[in-house]
Amino acid sequence: MGKTQLPEIPVRQLGVVATNPVEHWREFRPVINLERCRKCWICFTYCPEGTIYKSPEGPKIDYAFCKGCGICANECPVKAIEMVREE
Amino acid sequence: MGKVTLLSGNAAVAYGVKLSRAQVISTYPITPSTTIVEYLAEFVARGELKAEYIHPEGEHSAVAAALAAAAAGARSFTATSSQGLGYAYEIVAQAPAFRAPFLMAIADRTLGWYWSLQSDYSDIMPTRDLGWLQFFAESVQECLDAPMILYKIAENENVLLPVMLSLDGFNLTHSTEPVSIPSQEDVDDFLPSRKMYKHTLDPSVQDTFLDHRLPPNAHTIYRRIFEDTFERSKKVIYEVTREFTERFGRDMYGLIEEYKTDGAEILLLTMGSMTTAAKRAVDALRRENIKAGLIKFRFFRPFPEEEIIEVIEKNGVKAVGVVDRAVSHGSRRGPVAQDVLSTLYKLKDRPSFINFIAGMGGEDISIEDFKTMFKYLNNATTGDKATVSTIFMEKEPVIEKQRFTYKDKMLGGGSYLCPGCGIALFAKYVFSKLGKNTLVVVPPSCYSVGIPRVSGVPNILANFAAPAAFARGYKRAYLIRGSKTRVVVIAGDGCAADIGLQSLSSAAEANEPILWITYDNEAYMNTGIQRSGTTPYAAWTTTTPVGDVWKGKNVFPKDMISIMMAHRIPYIATLSLAFTKDFEEKLQKALDVVDNNVGMAYLHVHAVCPTGWRFDPSKSIEVARLAVLTGVWPLLEIKNGVFNLTFIPPKLRPVKEYLQLQGRFAHMSEDQIKEVQNFVEKRWKSLMELHEKKLW
Repeated sequence: MGKTQLPEIPVRQLGVVATNPVEHWREFRPVINLERCRKCWICFTYCPEGTIYKSPEGPKIDYAFCKGCGICANECPVKAIEMVREE
Repeated sequence: MGKVTLLSGNAAVAYGVKLSRAQVISTYPITPSTTIVEYLAEFVARGELKAEYIHPEGEHSAVAAALAAAAAGARSFTATSSQGLGYAYEIVAQAPAFRAPFLMAIADRTLGWYWSLQSDYSDIMPTRDLGWLQFFAESVQECLDAPMILYKIAENENVLLPVMLSLDGFNLTHSTEPVSIPSQEDVDDFLPSRKMYKHTLDPSVQDTFLDHRLPPNAHTIYRRIFEDTFERSKKVIYEVTREFTERFGRDMYGLIEEYKTDGAEILLLTMGSMTTAAKRAVDALRRENIKAGLIKFRFFRPFPEEEIIEVIEKNGVKAVGVVDRAVSHGSRRGPVAQDVLSTLYKLKDRPSFINFIAGMGGEDISIEDFKTMFKYLNNATTGDKATVSTIFMEKEPVIEKQRFTYKDKMLGGGSYLCPGCGIALFAKYVFSKLGKNTLVVVPPSCYSVGIPRVSGVPNILANFAAPAAFARGYKRAYLIRGSKTRVVVIAGDGCAADIGLQSLSSAAEANEPILWITYDNEAYMNTGIQRSGTTPYAAWTTTTPVGDVWKGKNVFPKDMISIMMAHRIPYIATLSLAFTKDFEEKLQKALDVVDNNVGMAYLHVHAVCPTGWRFDPSKSIEVARLAVLTGVWPLLEIKNGVFNLTFIPPKLRPVKEYLQLQGRFAHMSEDQIKEVQNFVEKRWKSLMELHEKKLW
């Protein structure tokens, strides 16, 4: 009946991660004010999704995997991150 | 007077059990049965049901305690699903010989088989031979009515057997329908209170008790006696279901329900919630003058052999179909089909027979699917000779497309964990240290649902009670094969402190070179916030709710560090997500211990949970930090027997600062807060006494 052929014993490739964005989960979007940022990297350290990365200008956010938890904004010692409601 | 309201199947079972005035409830969380016992916990917490409530460490014990309570003369209840039923199997097998009537709800779900949460009968069917009555509910109303009927049948002196109430996972457990709730007075009138029998175990009241010793050559006799009992139970089932139907005006009569069987040439046998769609297919075919009919099993045990034969003979049925949501592997048939086929042997003119295997792993069986089955049955009526066959009703698999693919990655984004989840951060820290040569062993948990799909290393599921044993087997294979693969167990607190503690202890005693990491979010979060052995005192959970009678969890948590210290393994430590340097150093020390095959390392991480602890996800680190600063979560390590507090704050902050951030503690009285403060201060003092001491 089934048209799709499935392997008898399913396997995966080591080291390969295939994933989908979770940005649609987000209610609030973290926006970093780089002028205020002191590059302490606390946001980078505590981001549970690993979606904040380092750049010479300061932290950048890969919004595809940001769930909008707001830990970065809450922990930022200089309040350089603002949570803005998604449209 | 009763009332009509909207209830899910699980809520309906809970109401039915409450109306039946169950006296002892003993359960362990497992999807999809869990909400049954959450509702019951609410009833007890609010004082609406006077019952003893037991929170054991696993299903093996949950069913044992319910059985024992029934053997001791109380009306008892338990509920489980799938792996839980499998884990409890030996107790389930033991139960009938106690001749202690009690009720177990089975929220059906696939057993084993790639760990689906979805419904089929592969869990309940293997228990069909053990000596339990088995009732299958079709609707939410039947879920509510069944407990009072089943208690009355089971407690009849001509029966005295345990009974299973089967309700299909999600299709019934989590589907909402309008139901009529009878009044307590009417139910009390119908169902008298539980009686004592001669074999009931209560030496202070009775002068006889159950004798477990069977003399030699008595086993076959007792097996026959059980069969006689099942035969007798049919009469009781007819009596009780007739009485219920007359009193409450809802048809629950008999072992089977016949649907449009008059003159039926093709007959389909179904059970459970699929029956409703099958009935609609029968309606459609009857409108086309196709003589289709249906038998629904209300009871599968006792097996309604005479009833099936009567319907077939009376109507001259030419083809019989059985829909099985389970397979007896190696026989190419389902268990229901096997019983029906042997029944057909009694007939002189045997109809053709088709076994349909359908609805496995929660796959939908639609009205169209049932029409297709009837078409097959119609075709089977045309030949000269009766035929027997099995048809797998296969579906087109849904393959999820992934937008991003990364190579050489240990962990990617896009986990299914909640925003602000401590486990997500924990995984980020841990995977930054783990390389490709790591095998992660994961029991069922939030982690197992959220992380494996975005991890590049094998995260292999282990049964809830046995991850340490899985880890030992993997590691020993690598050792003897000269492989460098490291084995890490990542388990939640429910596994580590409750159901998996026995196998963890055994592995620790043997000092196996494996790393065990407990991420402690202080409850069974994956099944929806049920109390675990490490849930803090006074914390609200769905199985320790707050009401007039209960004020959250009534005892202090288990001390896992002391338990691990008692095993004298080379490295033990507690970690906090807020103290990253301390976290990294301890993780490295633990990896050194296992990578050099020195022995076992045990890490215990405070894994903050915004969803279960009821705080805003942005506060995760704040909560984690305050746990350490208030002394609620001491940071310590024991390396080769030397105890060290790795962070000593100049002065502990009041625990109230930590508690007040979390909704799970919102109900706490000043007295309760004081109790926690005293507990923390006393513990801190005893830890300071151990500081820098060599303990072994």
